[in-house]
Amino acid sequence: MVLTLAKPRPIWQIMFSTHHTDVGLMYLIFSIMALFIGGAMAIAIRVELFAPGAQIIADAMTFNRLFTSHGTTMIFLFLLPSASAVGNYLVPIMVRYKDMAYPKLNAIAFWMIPPAAALVWLGMADFGWYANPPYSVISAPAPAAEMWIFGLKILGISSVLGSINFVVTILKCKHPDMSIGKVPLLAWSFLAASTIAIMAIPTFAAGLLMLLTDRLGATGFFNPLVGGDPIAYQHLFWFTFHPEVYVLVIPAIGMMYEIIPRFSRRPIFSHSSGVFAFVLLSIVAFASWAHHMFATGMSFTEKTVFMVGTLAAVPASAMHVFNFLATMWNGRIKFATPMMWAVGGIALFFSAGAGGVVNTAMPLDFITHDSYWVVGHFHLFVFGTIAFGTIGFFYYLFPYVTRRMYNEKLGVVHFILSMVGASLTFFTQHLLGLYGMPRRVFDYPEIPEWIAMNQIISIGAMIILVGMGIFLVNLIYSSARGKPANMNDPFGLGGKYYYPYSQLNPHHDKAGY
Amino acid sequence: MRTIWAPIILIVLFATPMIQLVFASETPGEYVNRAQEIWNLFFRMMTIAFVVGGVIAGTIVWQVWRFRESNPKAKPTPYEDKGDL
Repeated sequence: MVLTLAKPRPIWQIMFSTHHTDVGLMYLIFSIMALFIGGAMAIAIRVELFAPGAQIIADAMTFNRLFTSHGTTMIFLFLLPSASAVGNYLVPIMVRYKDMAYPKLNAIAFWMIPPAAALVWLGMADFGWYANPPYSVISAPAPAAEMWIFGLKILGISSVLGSINFVVTILKCKHPDMSIGKVPLLAWSFLAASTIAIMAIPTFAAGLLMLLTDRLGATGFFNPLVGGDPIAYQHLFWFTFHPEVYVLVIPAIGMMYEIIPRFSRRPIFSHSSGVFAFVLLSIVAFASWAHHMFATGMSFTEKTVFMVGTLAAVPASAMHVFNFLATMWNGRIKFATPMMWAVGGIALFFSAGAGGVVNTAMPLDFITHDSYWVVGHFHLFVFGTIAFGTIGFFYYLFPYVTRRMYNEKLGVVHFILSMVGASLTFFTQHLLGLYGMPRRVFDYPEIPEWIAMNQIISIGAMIILVGMGIFLVNLIYSSARGKPANMNDPFGLGGKYYYPYSQLNPHHDKAGY
Repeated sequence: MRTIWAPIILIVLFATPMIQLVFASETPGEYVNRAQEIWNLFFRMMTIAFVVGGVIAGTIVWQVWRFRESNPKAKPTPYEDKGDL
């Protein structure tokens, strides 16, 4: 479990381990690698859009391949595995069980990800991470499209297996003395997110299979040339992937629930309201998928239902925000790196939520639909909230993984650069959308406002890149040379609060485990 | 007295313009400029969003300043050194 770069364990010992901390470590390393690969694609996109005309990318098809792989990488290969990393490390410890319920299944779920990633990265499909028909059925080039479909299939199975493991571990393997109400909020967040994933993913699995048979010419579910309905695919897709947003954000909020009370030196203000808000979000996650499709000719009644369903997420989200604020109130807050990321994440979460309310108001959706506003909103949410919570938690987990401390100054610089970069990039994308720039375009006309805003966005992305470079240096250097951590109180908060397990070579059969 | 402000704000921001809009669409000789109405709604909602956002963000900033451990007024919480963190 402990990653010691100075005297490393044999790599095969980690790779063939089924111990939850080893699987967590593999998820962690893989997700950080995917973050940098997806980030490199994002930088290529932003350099291309720095000015009108082709800059570094030869043609629109290559650009489409890049943004498809960027989206797929960040969502399925960075955010989901990073949440699994945290869950694998901490859920068994939090429910006081020796491991995940099914350790071998856990390792299998992880090892399904690298081949799926290879399919996505080697194929480089060009239809966006949503693969909308009719383009994806009729025109998208093979074999990239098929590779993407099979890659996503494998990732879906991996997610379901991992989710089943979390649900069973929490519900059936928790210590008999621990009632479900006493389960920590981070574990609760994994219970909620895993339940959503188990319920949502099979729908898209069916959609992918139908897409594949359509492409093979065996069926015509989504092919309008043979009487199919492309909109039906969008329903299947968004029924899975709107809840998937909550699968990503709920664990990130759970991570904030670990960080904020500790660094405020106060217990969480209301455990029960946090649980209630997680359960509420899990339900309303399924009441809002069609708000992505207001422009597809839905009836007024349908749109109203989904508008109200989407707005129902506001009170649940606000409960979390107010829970955080009330916890910090009257605390003595230490602003170490994890706390900065958590508080920054709350601020951006609120901003992203406000933009989401605009998106879901029917008439306003027609202003913002398919414009850069949506890109800004989505990225503010996934980067500004989910990645902020996750990266903050990576810093929090660092002593646990390495038994060393990261460099605090570099961590703070990383946070400041990311906060400035994210604000410049994603808020400006909102404005660019209001100025009418459509999303998913390789080139744009020489409108002075568009050029200026695109350049601000690209500069913001570069600032994030510099911050991420510092993050990588900090991780690698501190893993090898960082100061040894006090494993009871690595952040100097006073008291004993840190996670108990820190064995060097975890094996299920070892005494004392 | 304080409770009366919420409905007044809601009426001014939402109800009155909506009523005007509905009657305008039913009155002969008048027509609704949808683009104008939608942009008006957008600006009203952004006004609300910025006001609420300002209050929340302001609270966060104030909390960060007031309850930071380096603030001279900061006092140890009752939970420190008890292992309750």
